[in-house]
Amino acid sequence: MRNRGRTAFIITYLAPAVLIYAVFVIWPVLQAFGFSMFKWSGLSQNKKFVGFDNFKQLFHDKIFWVSLLHNAWIFLFGGSIILLVGLGIAHAMQGEGKFTKALRSVYLFPNIMSLVVVAVLWQFIYNPRMGLLNSFIELFGKQKQRFDMLGTPGTALPGVIITFIWYAAGFYIMLFAAGIRQIPEEVVEASKLDGAQGFVRFKKITLPLLWSVGRISLVYLVINTLNVFALVFLMTTGGPDRKTEVMLTYLYEQAFVNSDYGAATALAVANFVIVMAVSGLILRITRKNPVGEVR
Amino acid sequence: MKSKRSVFDRCIDGIKASLTFAFVAAFTLSVVLPLLWMTLTSVKASPEIFASPWGLPKTPHWENFSNAWKSAGIAHYFANSLIVTTATLVILIPIGAMAAYIFARYPFKGSKLLFGTFLGGMVFPQFLVIVPLFALMSSTHLLDTKIGLTVVYIAYSLPFTIFVLTGFFQTLPKDLDEAAIIDGCSHSRTFWQVMFPLAKPGLIVVGIFNGIGLWNEYSLALVLANSEQNKTLPLGIANLAMVMHYSGDWGALFAGLVIVMIPVLIVYWIFREKIHQTMLAGAIKG
Repeated sequence: MRNRGRTAFIITYLAPAVLIYAVFVIWPVLQAFGFSMFKWSGLSQNKKFVGFDNFKQLFHDKIFWVSLLHNAWIFLFGGSIILLVGLGIAHAMQGEGKFTKALRSVYLFPNIMSLVVVAVLWQFIYNPRMGLLNSFIELFGKQKQRFDMLGTPGTALPGVIITFIWYAAGFYIMLFAAGIRQIPEEVVEASKLDGAQGFVRFKKITLPLLWSVGRISLVYLVINTLNVFALVFLMTTGGPDRKTEVMLTYLYEQAFVNSDYGAATALAVANFVIVMAVSGLILRITRKNPVGEVR
Repeated sequence: MKSKRSVFDRCIDGIKASLTFAFVAAFTLSVVLPLLWMTLTSVKASPEIFASPWGLPKTPHWENFSNAWKSAGIAHYFANSLIVTTATLVILIPIGAMAAYIFARYPFKGSKLLFGTFLGGMVFPQFLVIVPLFALMSSTHLLDTKIGLTVVYIAYSLPFTIFVLTGFFQTLPKDLDEAAIIDGCSHSRTFWQVMFPLAKPGLIVVGIFNGIGLWNEYSLALVLANSEQNKTLPLGIANLAMVMHYSGDWGALFAGLVIVMIPVLIVYWIFREKIHQTMLAGAIKG
């Protein structure tokens, strides 16, 4: 008797969440895989099944490979600097000084700001007519021509990467800081007694114990750098001359400028598969802690 | 001998300490300076902005803020953001809490799988679904409506909400709801009158966290609600930046940026401890 009430209760209480989630999340996810097999332009009803043609086309699409390469640069350069800064700042932030306390309250600011604010702010920092960057360069002497970071093909991508680091670093600092806090006091004390100092202690104790946090951070970096969109879209729209094009800005162009929905969805699926494959690979490679589990 | 070494050691320690300090100081400045510059620029007149990026204005031009608010249309975008964010939270939190309560207290066959399906939503990229979602919204006439955007926001905020609240309900002592049931309360009265109020700290965290994310959200709004009438604050500011990039009232644009940022910073400042804990829990489990 009580059991019947229980089942009805479970169903009614799950129903709203499950319905909304199924219709607006699960269903579109399933459709995405289907859509990528159709030639479908504009919001017309004429979809034509073309199998893997969209993927074949994507494979021969130079712009796609260029975008993927830019994502890879953001991951490699942005990611490694973020890891270094994250680790360093998290390590330095452990003390109780006034300064470290102040740091602890501001380091996450960029990460909670809207990407729109971040992108527009940095566009103006790089602005050749009035930005901070040029005033900084002028400290070292007057230049003939003001430097246009985002407008110059060679420096546009580095400009975007710097902004990405500025925006994202806080999150990784937070992860590492939490990891360091989990290191048992006794281990640190014992290492001090053994004479392990500064960098040695950092290398022998802190780093190995942060292995699992490091893995998580790497996976987040893969996801976040292969899925960069708003920052690039707002700062450069992929320009100049596609020098900052990334997968998702190209996807947006294919879908909502060229109305080539089939191609865009194929790109979305490819992006998803790449993210999954790279994350899986990283988790596999780093499965074994070289120093051994210290739990 | 011993004292000699310790002098040397102290010297090394001193160098290390100053290097660490320099590194931390450089980092802190790089975080804070752009934000200070933005705030400073928001109270300068256009000629002053061009004259020198760090020059102080003769008098603070507060009218930049009223210009942004009125002439640049920020008030309208602000209202849209407020409507969509509030509506999302008001619906999201009860239905998220209801589902989370079931996952925490009423396990059934397949409940783990269902919970896992919800959690999966925390990791996959939104752009995977952007085209099908666009088509779905278009065929249901929800495209470019505040209702449509709200429903999508609810759907995509559910995974995180359910994840956090399930964890929260699991920490509440079981005796409470069991006692209520034995006293003859129905399952739903037990939920609404005992458990839901007890979960208030968890609900607040989830509300703040989703609130900040929704307030800042750009990509979904760009695709799903991009008309002047329905633009949210991030879209409005992005549009303003594009229009004003080459000519126009830059002081007002910077004032607009400050207007977007201020509510988030205030909320963050008040709840920063809780926000850290929640971000960590979400990051490490997800």
